[in-house]
Amino acid sequence: MDITHGTVLPDARPAYRLAGVSKIYRKGGREIPAVRDLDLEIRAGEWLAVQGKTGHGKTTLLQLLGGLDRPTRGRLDFGGTDLAKAAEPDVRKVRAGSFGFIFQTFNLIPTLTAQENVEAALIPLRVHHAQRSGRVQEALDSVGLGDRAQHLPAELSGGQQQRVAIARALVKEPRVLLADEPTGNLDEDTRDEIIALLDRLWRERGLTLILVTHDSAVARRAQRIGTMTSGRLSLRQDTRA
Amino acid sequence: MFFLTYLRRELRRRMRQAIFIALGLAVGIGLVITVMGASAGVKTAQAKVLRALYGIGTDVTVTTKPKPPSNRPTTGQANAQGSPGGNAGHATVCLNGKCYTSGTIDTLVSGDHGPFSAATAARIARLNHVSAAAGGLLLTDNRIVLPKTSSSQLQPPTSVSVDGTDISHPRLGPLSNARVTKGRTFTSEDASKNAAVVDANYAAAHKLKVGSAVTIAGKKFTVVGIVTQPQASSPPEVYIPLQRAQALAIDPATGQAMTNQINTVYVTAASAADIGAVQKEIQHLLPQATVTSSSDLASEITGSAASAAKLAGALGKWLAVLVLIAAFAVASLLTMAAVARRVPEFGTLKALGWRSRRIVSQVLGESVAIGIIGGAIGVGLGFAGVTIIDKIAPKLFATVPAATSSGLQTQVAGPGGAGGGPVSGGGPGASHATIAVPMSASVTVAAIILAVLLAVAGGLLAGSFGGWRAARLRPAAALARVA
Repeated sequence: MDITHGTVLPDARPAYRLAGVSKIYRKGGREIPAVRDLDLEIRAGEWLAVQGKTGHGKTTLLQLLGGLDRPTRGRLDFGGTDLAKAAEPDVRKVRAGSFGFIFQTFNLIPTLTAQENVEAALIPLRVHHAQRSGRVQEALDSVGLGDRAQHLPAELSGGQQQRVAIARALVKEPRVLLADEPTGNLDEDTRDEIIALLDRLWRERGLTLILVTHDSAVARRAQRIGTMTSGRLSLRQDTRA
Repeated sequence: MFFLTYLRRELRRRMRQAIFIALGLAVGIGLVITVMGASAGVKTAQAKVLRALYGIGTDVTVTTKPKPPSNRPTTGQANAQGSPGGNAGHATVCLNGKCYTSGTIDTLVSGDHGPFSAATAARIARLNHVSAAAGGLLLTDNRIVLPKTSSSQLQPPTSVSVDGTDISHPRLGPLSNARVTKGRTFTSEDASKNAAVVDANYAAAHKLKVGSAVTIAGKKFTVVGIVTQPQASSPPEVYIPLQRAQALAIDPATGQAMTNQINTVYVTAASAADIGAVQKEIQHLLPQATVTSSSDLASEITGSAASAAKLAGALGKWLAVLVLIAAFAVASLLTMAAVARRVPEFGTLKALGWRSRRIVSQVLGESVAIGIIGGAIGVGLGFAGVTIIDKIAPKLFATVPAATSSGLQTQVAGPGGAGGGPVSGGGPGASHATIAVPMSASVTVAAIILAVLLAVAGGLLAGSFGGWRAARLRPAAALARVA
């Protein structure tokens, strides 16, 4: 079933359904469309890579999908909740429980240790303290940083910081992992390590992974690749047979 | 607890700024405590002055203006004629129609206050908001010694202030404030006896001791006790039982004895809040009377005590308020600046699903923690400030209105009065008396509670600005700052 530019693979539960989604910024009386009339379905457990030039709407799309921003118009359905219209507390709950974010600049709290940074993701879920420490340690172990739990971000390399950020995203066992240029600040070897890690976690956990990247080598690891051009998304078929 | 861990780490990260804000608040709070301590010290000093004037339990005094004496020189006032050189012939003193050229003329008069019926005290005592009332007679014993020969020089008259004390109300009136240093105070058995209690300074000046005799209105009174007032005041020199004072005193307006009369009523209100009501009730009962409360008298106090009170009350208060406002403003601005720097951090927390409320409480918690640290330092600074004031503060001088103008008792201490120091001016019939009182500033519990409240308020104020800014952040906009 063709939904505009992309193709939904058969027998797949949709994680997202976007219909006529647009995001328009207003600046000095001018309208700047970042995303235009986007219709899209993303399957649960799918890995979608989004490429495109700077300023063409990749990050805006990711923020809309992550409930960090709202569309100007259109419907953005996630698990039965229209993130475009839902009340802010409801969107926040979805964000807290279902989405894990990974950022290009890692966005770790500089004063908190790796363990505490990961723990921060469990605070909104009101996980009991006793359970938190176990889950945090497990998450850090899964990214290979179990022995660096007490290190501050400044005491870790870029790759290690991104691993902590991935652990923070995964500790709440989200349904969707949204990664915005997760390897943008890393060297090639570290990039490969991180992508390999994401690939493994995606496979093991059945995550829906939406990854924004400039890097075609990274994008090629995804099942589908979309390209944002002037706010419009064009999708290519599954690249991983 | 994650909240505290995050708070502690964040404060440690911006320790310099936290210390700067805390010190700013500390200076403001320390100043408030110091000003409050100094103000309390000045008030205590004023209260001591007032207490010395009134007696401990007296809230209100009631007096009335004396009627003008008759023009006749025979209405109870002694009129002396003659010259200091004595060359103009024998000195002559006329009293109650009789003129004297020799001997000693000793009269006990109520010169400054008009008389009330003794029943007035009982009538006032029955008023709604009055707890107790007692009458008294504030008198002056004037003595003129006429020269034996025409060539002798006429000596100036001497005066002794005498208080006719209501023995049945020991907690009211000037004697209530006195401390017995020798002998005893009055007992009910003294009511009709010629017993006297004398002020320690007067006793020292006239070499009196327990058992000595003093002459009042020509009658010998046996000294049963020597007392001292706790502060440098000018207490009556001699206290005698009211009943005896009434029998011996003469009203200058009529030339008659003051039997069953009083000229001052000391009143205790049911509570401090009732003093105003008591004044109104008495004024209604006795329209011609002068009703004076301690606050009325306080407003009439001048001198360095009053200046210090004004300084502490006005300049000190406003200075403290200004410093506090400045400290709060600086704390708020710095907190907002810190929040601005942490926008990406808060955006990340929002992306993780943190509620705005939680982020605001984190910012508020940090600010309040800084405020509490500032408050603790401020309390320390306040203690230091008060200690310094205690060490360097000079004695305060209070110039208080005397009986003639305010209807209150005139009190003048002699040199070296208890706890006092030099006292100038005054004396029976003087219009003002200057009293030296030591100033002792102290940190009160109220000041410490206020400091803690101010510290928390300062923290909350600073944090609420920052928190409000953090709460308004949209996650996408906040995260965009990172890029």
